[in-house]
Amino acid sequence: MKTEVVPPSGREASGASPTGQDRATGLVRLMPALLPAVLVVLALVLQHFVFWRGSPAVTKGLGPDAWPDLILNGLALFSAVWLGLELWVLGRAGRRSALRAPDDDEIYRFGKAVAGIALIVLYGILLPLTGFALTTAVFIAVWCVYGGVRKPLVVLPVSLIGTWVLLWVFMGISLMPLSRGRGVFDQFSIWLLKTLGIY
Amino acid sequence: MSSLELLAGGFHAAFQFTAFATIVIGLLVGVVAGALPGISFVNAMAMALPFTYVMEPTQSMLFLGGIYVGGVFGGSISAIIINVPGTPASLPATWDGYPMTRRGEVKRALMIAVTASATGGLVSALVLAFLSAPFASFALKFSQPEFFAATVLGLVSVIAIAKDQPIITVVSLLAGIAVGTVGVDPLYGQARFSFGIPQMESGIRFVVVMIGLFAIGEVVDLIATNRDLRPKHSEGKGARPRLSDIFKVKGAILRGTGLGCMIGMIPGAGATPGAVIAYGVEKQVSKRKAEFGTGVEEGLAAPEAAKNATTGAAMVPLLTLGIPGSAATAIMLAAMMLHGVNPGPLLFIMDPSMVYTIFAAMIIANVLMIGAGIGVAQIFSTLMRTPPAILAAFIIVLSVIGAFGVRNNIFDVYVCLAFGVLGWGMKRIGFPSAPMVLGVILGPLAERYFLTSLANSHQDWTVFFTRPISGTILFLALLFVAWSMWAPITSMLSRLRYRAG
Repeated sequence: MKTEVVPPSGREASGASPTGQDRATGLVRLMPALLPAVLVVLALVLQHFVFWRGSPAVTKGLGPDAWPDLILNGLALFSAVWLGLELWVLGRAGRRSALRAPDDDEIYRFGKAVAGIALIVLYGILLPLTGFALTTAVFIAVWCVYGGVRKPLVVLPVSLIGTWVLLWVFMGISLMPLSRGRGVFDQFSIWLLKTLGIY
Repeated sequence: MSSLELLAGGFHAAFQFTAFATIVIGLLVGVVAGALPGISFVNAMAMALPFTYVMEPTQSMLFLGGIYVGGVFGGSISAIIINVPGTPASLPATWDGYPMTRRGEVKRALMIAVTASATGGLVSALVLAFLSAPFASFALKFSQPEFFAATVLGLVSVIAIAKDQPIITVVSLLAGIAVGTVGVDPLYGQARFSFGIPQMESGIRFVVVMIGLFAIGEVVDLIATNRDLRPKHSEGKGARPRLSDIFKVKGAILRGTGLGCMIGMIPGAGATPGAVIAYGVEKQVSKRKAEFGTGVEEGLAAPEAAKNATTGAAMVPLLTLGIPGSAATAIMLAAMMLHGVNPGPLLFIMDPSMVYTIFAAMIIANVLMIGAGIGVAQIFSTLMRTPPAILAAFIIVLSVIGAFGVRNNIFDVYVCLAFGVLGWGMKRIGFPSAPMVLGVILGPLAERYFLTSLANSHQDWTVFFTRPISGTILFLALLFVAWSMWAPITSMLSRLRYRAG
């Protein structure tokens, strides 16, 4: 999915009322100020959540919250300066926001990127449930298909041989206790590792 | 016996077949581990530790020394070729090395990097061999305020890497330091920002953050932009490496080497501040400072030389004082202690042959690194010919394994993935991630040194300025900030003057 390039004057294209469009454009223009504003709030709010079970009593010297408070205050201050700069920029036509996104927006497929992120997160979530061996083999195969490699004669060997090599290096040689999964997946992983001679 | 005679004896021992083979294997393991995104050479050294049980003490040090030397350079291979630093110290290699790759000059970039690294490492190994004792006596004067000052110098150096957005760079750095405060504090043992999650109490490791921010976002972009990774050797102007390329950057290599040797000897500093400071200094002294970040050779050579120059230098406090100067040398200390060897001044008297064999091995490893680096880089270039989807799949799996391997904990994988999503978002809006990573690495060190300094001096904060070495380093840090900010401030003032007039 390619990103749609919104024309600079989208009023005619959208057919929205001039007032509504102005409001929308105004909100979009405020976007660069959103991140510093969120950071200011976050830095100030987080100072109240340093300790989960109540703050310890410190009678002498700096307490364990001194350094985080110092850093968060600094973060709030510099974020506020950044916010001020962004708002100043907003008031002046023709000036750019301090953040500059990569110049590949024209060819960047956001839909594909989001799907990729979702796949990676799903891989991380499934790892402790279905075990490293099975999850990794399936993940590599699915990722290859998602990335445009669709020949079964490429995808299957890459997935299976790749997983076998990874299992040997990390569970066989380095003795890393990678997840075997839970329940039936645990039994499957044990069988697989015994079959491969790793256990 | 003189140092030279002892070193000759060390070379004789290191050139024995078993010892030499151990150095070569260690070097290759280090370069490969360093080059693999997510598997840092420190991880590789930690994983190699059990293998050293079956070795002689000297042999185990040669093996770990080989991994150390190879690994510090290896991280730059992936940084230059795929913009994913294998180690934190290789971060600057992405700033000017990767743009060279994008121009089709991957071979030139790799040759400059490996030559600079080998030169830095070799000089550092010679420093280790001949200047151990005097430098050790200087490092002995360092206490917590000096360590804090050195860490501050490393932190402020990020302002030098901020192209024209110093405020946002500082915000990113502070956000990173804030992430580094998660977990138990160094003085009271009190858990902070745990939000009731037990795993959060043990903190967020920088390796996990680094893998997430760099590797995950990079591979997603790889697929989303349909980028062609195949090396374009013939496309770039002057893509083929020439010997004259090295002569052009000799000043940068020498400056980086000098800085690396000095910074490496400061316990706790290590390769990352060394490389970042060298990059910042090089940017300031270079005639092409405005072009830094676009593939400037000096910007690649200086930090490469500096980071490998820290390897031998970091072993000075380890061998002479028993103080490890970095995570890598801490593992070497662990290996020595496992074999009943106690490093310190007495080691030079009790077992000089072992000490000088290690020195000789470091020299040999740095010479061999040129071949090993180019060899592994060739394999990497071949890897780049594989479809990006296959490459990306393995980078993700290795990144997840790398995050898991830090503490053998699935929670670190979740943290890594969370930072991966964050890193991708940051990349899309142009928010810099490198300062954040530096903040996560150096923040906890700065906090520990800051609090212990104050505790030791009865909460007298002037201790940082009244102690000569600490005060000098902090003054240098201030000068560094002023020097870095001079150009942006004068440019802004001239713009305002132009508008007013």
